[in-house]
Amino acid sequence: MATYDQGDGHRRWSADVATVTVGLDGIVTGWSEGARRLLGHRAPDVVGRAAADLLLGREALQAAGLALTGSREWSGTAALRHRDGHRVEVTLHAHPSLGGDGTPQGFVVTVTTTPADAGHDRTMMEWAFAQASIALSAYSTTSRSWHLNPAAQGGEQAPGAESGRLTATPADEGFLRCVRRVAEEGTPMRYEHSAPEPSSASASERHRDRIFELWPVRDPATGEVVGVGTAAFDSSDQHSARRRLALLQEAGTCIGTTLNVTRTAKELAALAVPRLADFVSVDLLDSVLRGEEPVPGPVDATVVLRRVAHRSASAGEAVAEAAVDLGGIDSYPPFSPPARCLTAGRPVLSGADDPDFVRWIAGHESRNAAVQAYGIHSVMAAPLRARGITLGVAVFVRTEGSPPFEQDDLMLAEELAGRAAVGVDNARRYTRERTNALTLQRSLLPRDLPKQAAVEVASRYLPAGRGAGVGGDWFDVVPLSGTRVALVVGDVVGHGIHASATMGRLRTAVRTLADVDLPPDELLTHLDDLVIHLTADDTVDGGVRDDTGEIGATCLYAVYDPVSRVCTLASAGHVPPAVLLPDGTVSVVDLTPGPLLGVGGLPFEATELELPEGSLLAFCTDGLIEARDHDVGLGLERLCEALASPVPSLEVTCDTILKALLPDSPADDVALLLARTRALHADQVAAWSLPSDPAVVADARAQTSRQLAAWGLEDVAFVTELVVSELVTNAIRYGAVPIGLRLIRDRTLICEVSDASNTAPHLRRARTYDEGGRGLHMVAQLTQGWGTRQTSVGKTIWAEQSLPAG
Amino acid sequence: MAGHTRDEGFGGATHTLGLLYPPAGRGRAYTTMQLAFVGGVAEAATAQGYDLLLSPGERYDDPSFLRMIGDRRVDGVIVMEIRREDDRVERLAEEGFPFVAIGRNQRADAAGWVDLDFAGLAGGCVQHLADLGHTRIAFVNRSERLFDSGYGFARLGDEGYTEAMKKLLLTPRAYLCGDDLASGEQVVERILLDDPATTSLVTLNEAALEGVYRGLTRHGRSVPRDFSVVGVAASPWAEQVTPALTAAEIPAKEMSRVAVDLMIQRLRSPDSPPRHVLLKPLVTLRASTGRCRPVPGSEPEADFSDFPDFGIDF
Repeated sequence: MATYDQGDGHRRWSADVATVTVGLDGIVTGWSEGARRLLGHRAPDVVGRAAADLLLGREALQAAGLALTGSREWSGTAALRHRDGHRVEVTLHAHPSLGGDGTPQGFVVTVTTTPADAGHDRTMMEWAFAQASIALSAYSTTSRSWHLNPAAQGGEQAPGAESGRLTATPADEGFLRCVRRVAEEGTPMRYEHSAPEPSSASASERHRDRIFELWPVRDPATGEVVGVGTAAFDSSDQHSARRRLALLQEAGTCIGTTLNVTRTAKELAALAVPRLADFVSVDLLDSVLRGEEPVPGPVDATVVLRRVAHRSASAGEAVAEAAVDLGGIDSYPPFSPPARCLTAGRPVLSGADDPDFVRWIAGHESRNAAVQAYGIHSVMAAPLRARGITLGVAVFVRTEGSPPFEQDDLMLAEELAGRAAVGVDNARRYTRERTNALTLQRSLLPRDLPKQAAVEVASRYLPAGRGAGVGGDWFDVVPLSGTRVALVVGDVVGHGIHASATMGRLRTAVRTLADVDLPPDELLTHLDDLVIHLTADDTVDGGVRDDTGEIGATCLYAVYDPVSRVCTLASAGHVPPAVLLPDGTVSVVDLTPGPLLGVGGLPFEATELELPEGSLLAFCTDGLIEARDHDVGLGLERLCEALASPVPSLEVTCDTILKALLPDSPADDVALLLARTRALHADQVAAWSLPSDPAVVADARAQTSRQLAAWGLEDVAFVTELVVSELVTNAIRYGAVPIGLRLIRDRTLICEVSDASNTAPHLRRARTYDEGGRGLHMVAQLTQGWGTRQTSVGKTIWAEQSLPAG
Repeated sequence: MAGHTRDEGFGGATHTLGLLYPPAGRGRAYTTMQLAFVGGVAEAATAQGYDLLLSPGERYDDPSFLRMIGDRRVDGVIVMEIRREDDRVERLAEEGFPFVAIGRNQRADAAGWVDLDFAGLAGGCVQHLADLGHTRIAFVNRSERLFDSGYGFARLGDEGYTEAMKKLLLTPRAYLCGDDLASGEQVVERILLDDPATTSLVTLNEAALEGVYRGLTRHGRSVPRDFSVVGVAASPWAEQVTPALTAAEIPAKEMSRVAVDLMIQRLRSPDSPPRHVLLKPLVTLRASTGRCRPVPGSEPEADFSDFPDFGIDF
């Protein structure tokens, strides 16, 4: 065939053709350059001489039948003498050159070298072209025709071609452009032809990934490009390897973008469908979703998993292939591929030809239906394993129309599942930390607000939407003596466990101080001292933790007395409450803000507020009213607006307020405490003034008895009279005027005696022969509880008795 | 009536009690307090199986009183609004007709009575004010007519007030006051004229209280901040005024019940010695009294006399 190369080695296997013209008389009349190259003689040396002189053996030639006489074409082999004397075996081809009258004028003889092996080699070379396992083709620029070897014909390039000579062109436009460029520029090129995505292509098309090497074919003599040679290589494997790599790389960025278990699982499903599988499901062990560390189960047991994510290549949101709904639970028998992969910790390739798969499917009705409906034939189950623990399993499925999974797919699935597992495990760990922190926070906040009659309360605590979530906000409702109640709301600056823990300490401190029944301003002073001490302790303990050096905290402490309907408030840098009066007017309570806790040295001021019955107080933390887009003032205004909207219940009001004021994902945690005041009516409270005269004790008893009769509480009259006479006697004996006696009938019966002396009584242990010291013991024994509180003008001793039911 | 069959045999058989209750208010109207007593007696009597026959008789010659006694239409009589000299009580005692008095006088001691310790109540009111630091305490009594006509409690109240003041070494200043609003305003006028430094008063006159409040407001005295008022009054009424009156209760219901109890006791055992029940309710704390804030300039500046004068002699 054509000369491929002009390089030196070509003569050894390629043929040289020379042309010579010979007259009828056997005299050489023309000598071509090719003849010179072949035989070494120059034209002047040969033209005019007898052609036969060039022959080595004349007889042999004649024997072969060459006669330069007839008008016949003749072909034959001959041995010619080279100018340097060596023998050149050639094939001669004599064509008679006819004149105008049809008689031969001479002969054109083509001389072709035919070395002993050249003929065989050439044939062999043609065979090699024809039988090449790779697709080879040649394009002639002059004839614009293609020569394809059977491998190329059998393939896709020119289907249906039968001969080596084609006018039909390969279908790929890009390929043709490439061929033209090679022909024009004369430089080799490479062309890649990739197959379409497997989801939309049939199985055979998957094998169409090819690389074509193209090179120019030059005429060795002229150097002119006369054609283009191509060789095609199947690059399917290489291509799919690259695609897998791309998928993996994408997995690195797409899976585990959040610290959310479910989201991570969904990301895995979204990535794998449709590129790797037609349907993917991700199931996790239940404990993972709770953030716990999964405990390894027995090996050959049914595995129970919860569906966290699944995705189908079929259009639409509905995932029809799924046998389990999202969030649903399914159990996997030990022989099923998912269970096997969990047990082994390795991915499992299975399919319709696997008896275990068949058995598994057969035993599950909805799964069986799905397998039948969608022609599920190939399945991979890959364990989600991270940091040595197995969290769940991802199942990849190919349905009808897609090729079965291969070993390479299994590796890819394992890798993808591994990436997702790390994401899931991170999310799980985060969930655990967050849950712990929230649990701590919740345990530090009141769960059930204590029963008391002074106010009706509703509360909300919302952790921050982002970050650690927990913070230092708290609220509290503390029942005080005399049916009063303390309402507390506070905020420790910062987030996380440390803020929560500090909050817990402060809340406990407030409760303790409230129990001592300190007035609000005094209580805050004590709390302030405590915070200063805590700060000092923290600094001493952990000099390294410089972030804990300062405790910034605010607190609002209010005491509401349903008898006087007076609310006394003191604030340590906390946002003031809003109040909705029964007549519908809303305002922010005007009180002295006071310094932050932990500042020290500055006084706190108490503000008194007389509230009509049914007033609604709204205490909150700055997380509710302070946001990036507005300041506290505007937030309080909005709080007032939300508070004023008429709603049936406190719980609903809470929700209304949160909805009106909070963004979807609050940046700070929020505490909200609503309290609707009640008032004890005149017929529930009776108070008398007592002269400091021992004789009045009897009157006090009589009065008490009359009052209890009026209340219909004769049952407790005996005990109450004893308590009254004890407390009154004490007040007269040790106290100072004015002395007052008060009975409150609420959920309990409270008996209070106040006097102007500040000395609080002690529960003394009376000795057998002691005359005094028994009174309070008796009171303590007879009542449900007793205590003392300081007032602005002295002290009050109270005793509480439970009332008979009904 | 169940009582007919059960109580046949002692003290007659009418199973009816008489109640003498002359209207005490202005223009012979019944006061809320009186109606509370009538209601209380009726309720207590019904509970004991007795019906009630009412008579507004003020004097012994009142026809309805005579019918009640002369015809023996009732088993016994409860007498209200007792004067110091009361011919109804005289007549009942003379006839030996069973009776019980709400209120008391010398003659009623022969029978049973239930009464409030008005002297003690007035004294208790004074004591309460004194405990709050008040030293200039006036007393507003009932009308001159009532005082002179011999209604016991007006005199008893006055006595109790005076005695308590003297015991505290304070100067008593008692005023009589008509049972109406205008008189209340006038009495405040008089009190503050006599002693502008007055910071409190005790009143038995509930009818004049609104006027007293009004007069105090007119003089720039706010109750209970600048001026304390304490009284003797029935509870619903004391709660209705603003500010609610700190007062010793008149326990009408309790007294009615005790009166009926005494009556029944007397009917069942006529020969037992008569019982006398003297109630002394405490001063109920409401909103009209507060710590004493002396009228500016009226008291000498505090000279820290509360601090003991330690001599330093070492």
